[in-house]
This record gives sequence, structure tokens and C-alpha cells, in this order.
Amino acid sequence: MNVKATQPRHPGIRHFGIGQAGIWIALGVVVLVAGTFLPQFRDPANLANIGRQIGVLGILAIGQTFVIAAGAVDLSVGMLAGLVVVLTCALSPEYPLLPVLAAMLCLGAGVGVLNGLLVTRLRLNALILTFGMMSVLHGVIFLITDRSVGRAPEILRTLANGEVLGIPFAAIVVLTLGAAGHIALSRGRFGYHLLATGGNAESARRAGIATRRVLVIAFAISGLSAALAGLLLAGRIGVGYPLAGSGLELDAIVAVVLGGTALSGGRGSVARSIAGVVLLAMVSNLLNLMQVSGFAQTALKGMIVVAAILLN
Amino acid sequence: MSALVSRQVTRLLLDRWAIALVLAAIYWAGLALSPTAFGDPAYLLNTVRQIAPVGIAAIGVTMVMILGGVDLSVGAVISMTVVVSAAVMDGSAPNLPLAITQACCAGMVVGAINGVLIAFSRVSPFILTLGMGIAVIGLTQMLTGGTARGAVSPGFREVFNARLGDVLPVLALVLVGLAAVGLVIEKRTLFGRQLFLLGSNGEAARLAGLPVRPITITAYTLSGLFAALAGLALMARSGVSGTQAGQGMEFQVLAAVVVGGTTFEGRRGGITGTVIGVLVLGLAFNLVKVICLPYHTQLVVVGAIIITASALYGYLNRTFD
Repeated sequence: MNVKATQPRHPGIRHFGIGQAGIWIALGVVVLVAGTFLPQFRDPANLANIGRQIGVLGILAIGQTFVIAAGAVDLSVGMLAGLVVVLTCALSPEYPLLPVLAAMLCLGAGVGVLNGLLVTRLRLNALILTFGMMSVLHGVIFLITDRSVGRAPEILRTLANGEVLGIPFAAIVVLTLGAAGHIALSRGRFGYHLLATGGNAESARRAGIATRRVLVIAFAISGLSAALAGLLLAGRIGVGYPLAGSGLELDAIVAVVLGGTALSGGRGSVARSIAGVVLLAMVSNLLNLMQVSGFAQTALKGMIVVAAILLN
Repeated sequence: MSALVSRQVTRLLLDRWAIALVLAAIYWAGLALSPTAFGDPAYLLNTVRQIAPVGIAAIGVTMVMILGGVDLSVGAVISMTVVVSAAVMDGSAPNLPLAITQACCAGMVVGAINGVLIAFSRVSPFILTLGMGIAVIGLTQMLTGGTARGAVSPGFREVFNARLGDVLPVLALVLVGLAAVGLVIEKRTLFGRQLFLLGSNGEAARLAGLPVRPITITAYTLSGLFAALAGLALMARSGVSGTQAGQGMEFQVLAAVVVGGTTFEGRRGGITGTVIGVLVLGLAFNLVKVICLPYHTQLVVVGAIIITASALYGYLNRTFD
């Protein structure tokens, strides 16, 4: 009761500063500059393309925002999404769609809960635990297959690649989930408890917040979002490519960090994380339009990671 | 009083010998499952030879982790070293010294950049070095255009793959030699002691007037150097240049260091533990092979080792501190 009363009603606005506004300014600058100097950029087809590209990473970034705001981090999401891609494509030609989808969501949430329980019960550092889990999941994927398998169900392909009135479904999915996530984190009781846990776990615990449960739920959200992202990714690639998810965890963390969420926890905004994803997608799109090689893009991506956390 | 003493003794035993017990247990399991292989010294020494690159990189990472940091860019640095050294060697023997020097310098530069960025800001070394790894992989690919360039100098592989008296692999000796160098740095130099102080209590170290930033930068530079040497060892073993040679090796390195008792929180452990941890990893990999599990089970084993070892040492530290 008390905890809720003493929280600022709009934490985002009260602490409004360069850290919060930075991402919107950066986004605005990129859109203005690119829109002015690169006619291909403002082509509706290109914009729709960007919309499709934010799908997978956007969903991952939503889950990652919850975990990071709770003071942890989840490095296992990339490989988890990859596992979902492989399993979905391998299973869907043989089994009906709904049970497969349900099984994938359960798998994601299950791995998330397992991560959360291991972190809270064994008191492990979340970085090292999820780093180990990443290796385990990587192994599991390759035990299933070392080459592309199966085929993504038609509905996922449509969801990932289709559009309505020029707006890609993927973008609609991300914005819907993002809105729900944003409200859950910034308005609800759970969001307050989560931010309190991330800010100072000991104080939060003494104030009567079930910090362990909050962390487990945060990891479950992250795992669930990884499964959703994996389903969308399966639709986008079309086949069960074993390395589909590799490296996505870092992209998601970078997007969250670009959104001004501190890695130390206690603060975070889903909306700004998604703005971070859009920024990353636009930069990647611009580099493609300017025909920068994929290798140079990899190097640049690493530098963006370094720069983003240095600025953070 | 006696209870306290017995607690202290138990703690000391667990601290010092837990990892040795694990090594013994895993060796015993191997011996039970495959007496011919695990009873054969040549087979065991070959295991050491195989794991040598991981072991060499783990020495440097141990120093960084004692100080409370971590270096996940080692996999990328290993790939970079393989590519750079192959390109400089270009298949001719006279280029060899230059190739080794340049590879080591490249590793130290990456390490120094890591160190400077971490020393002069308060970023998470975990994420920073992960990002640095990606940047290094991208730069390596730009350098080569994505394909393998160059070739190994004649004699390089032959020397390092030789076996003294047909038993003792030179690469295993190199690992032992570098571990000895690491141990001297850790135990017999001021820098080694400063690493532990910095890892135990960074604020106290700073207030006591320790040059915190130079120490941090030196540790990461050494980690880069050892990763470069690991790359050269890998090059000697495989003889093939490729931009993905060291991909994922940071997982094995971290597993070896963590299982050896150097915790992610810093201040504990050391290179002795890491060397035993490397042997545990090597035997575990061979055990996976001996019981005919698919190759990729190794990844699961590595992950499980990282998680279990961290949990176990965390529990021991809480129980006996």
C-alpha cells in the first residue's frame, strides 16, 4: 500500500532528462537527415521494409526491458528464439498449428521461469547464468539439427511478411505488444514492484515486495517474448535455420540501452526500447541503401554496442 | 571453538581441493568407461594438446576475473590472430617472427582498448567485451573479405605439433610454460597482489593509492596478449586460417576459469585452479566422445559446467565466509 503511494505517478516524466529524451532526438535526427538526403529511404516500400525488420528485435527488446529494469539481464533469448525457429519449422509440417504454437510459448515461458528460479534460488549472477544457458540452448539446437529443417507454417509467413494498407503486420504486432508492455511496466502494480526490485532489491524486499517472484516473472516475460520473436523469425526466414537467433540477445540489449534504460536496473521504458529498435533498424537500412558491406556493418554494430554502453 | 576450526579446515579443503576432486572424479569416470583410452598417457597428453589454446587464453582471462572484470572478446581475438598471422606468414619461413610479433601486438591493442574503456568509465565489462568481440570479428572479416588468406610458414606447425620422445606434445609444454609465466605474475609480482586487492575491494584499493587504472589496463592487455598466443597455438594445431576459428571459444575459456574457482565477482581463485579447470574441461569433452554422445553435446556440457560451478562456488563462499 505504502509502496504504491510513495512512488511518483509518472516516473518517466519526473526524471525527464537527456537520457530519456536522447533516443527520441536521435530518432528524429536520423529520420530528418535520411529523409532529406536519401530519396530511397522515404519510399513507402522501404519504410514498410523497416517496419518488417523491427518485428523480431522489437519483441525481444520488450522482454529484455523488463529483465534489465529488474536489475538483471537475459543473454539466453537469442538462442531461445533460434530453438523456437528450429522446432516450429521441424514440427509444423507434421502436427497441427495450434498445439505447436502453444508448445513453443510454453517452452519460452518455461526456460524463462527456469532462468528466474536458478537466479533467485541459487543466487547466481544473471549474466553468468544466462551466458551458460545460451551455451546449453546452442547445444540443444545443434543436437536437433545442424542444417535448416522443415518449413514455417503459412500463417507465420503471412504475419512476418504481409501487410495491411501498407503497414506490415510485424510492426502492428510489435506496437500492440509494446503498448501492453509499456502500460504493464509504467502503470500497474507489477511494474512498480519490478522497478523497485531493480532499484534496490534489499529495500524492496524489506518493503514487503516479493522480489524473487518479481524476478521470476520478469524472466518468464523475457522467455515468452523470445518465443514470440522466434515464431515471427520463423515466418520471416521460412525454414528452421539453426543459427537464426544467434547474436540477437546483444542487439536487444543494445536497443534497450539506446533507449536510456540503465543496465544497473531500477529504470526502464518499453516505448523507448522500441524506439531504440527502430533506430537500429533505420541505421542498418541506411547502411544497406549506401551499400556498406556486411562485414563493415558487423564491425560498426560492435562499435555501436560499445558506444551505447559507454554513453549509458 | 572446535566447530569453528573444523569449519575453517573444511573451507580450506573445499577452496583448495574441490576442483582437484572434480578432476579426479572425472578421470575416474573416464577410466571406468574406457580403460584403454584414459589409461594411456599418450591419449591424456593429446587431450592436453587439444585444449591448449583454450588453456592459454584462460590464463589471461583469469587475471582479468581476479580483478573483478571479464573478457569475452577472447574468441574474436583468437580468430583475428589466426587470420593476421596467416596473412603475414604468407607461407614463408622468414616471415615467422614478424607474424608472431604482429599477432601479439594486435591482441594487446584490443586488450588495451578494452582496458582503457573499462578503466575510464564504469561500464559492465561483460557487455563491453561482448560488443568489442563483435567489432573485432567485423574488422577481421573486412581485412580478409570473409575468406581465408595466407598460409602457415613451413616448420611452424611441425615444431609445435611435434612430440618430445614421441609422447610429450610441444603444445602441452607451451601451455605449462605459459601457465608458469602466469603464476609468476600472479604470485611473485606486485601487479599480481594488486589484482587481488582490486578484486576484493576496489574502493579500498583506490583510497590506498593503488594505480587502479594502470592495473586494469595492464590486466586487459595481458588478457589480449594471452588470447593472441592462444590464437597462434590454435593456428599451430589446425594449420588453417579462417575468420571463425575462435568462434564461441570464449564459452570454453569462461567455463574453464569458473570451474577452476575464479569467481565472476573477483578476488578469489587463481591460475592454478584455472589450469586444473582446463584439464577438467578437456577430460569432460573426451568423456562426451568416449560415451558416443554427439559432438554438440559439448556445448551443453560447457553451459552446464558454467552454471553448476558458479552456483557451487557461490554456495561455498556464502556458507564458509
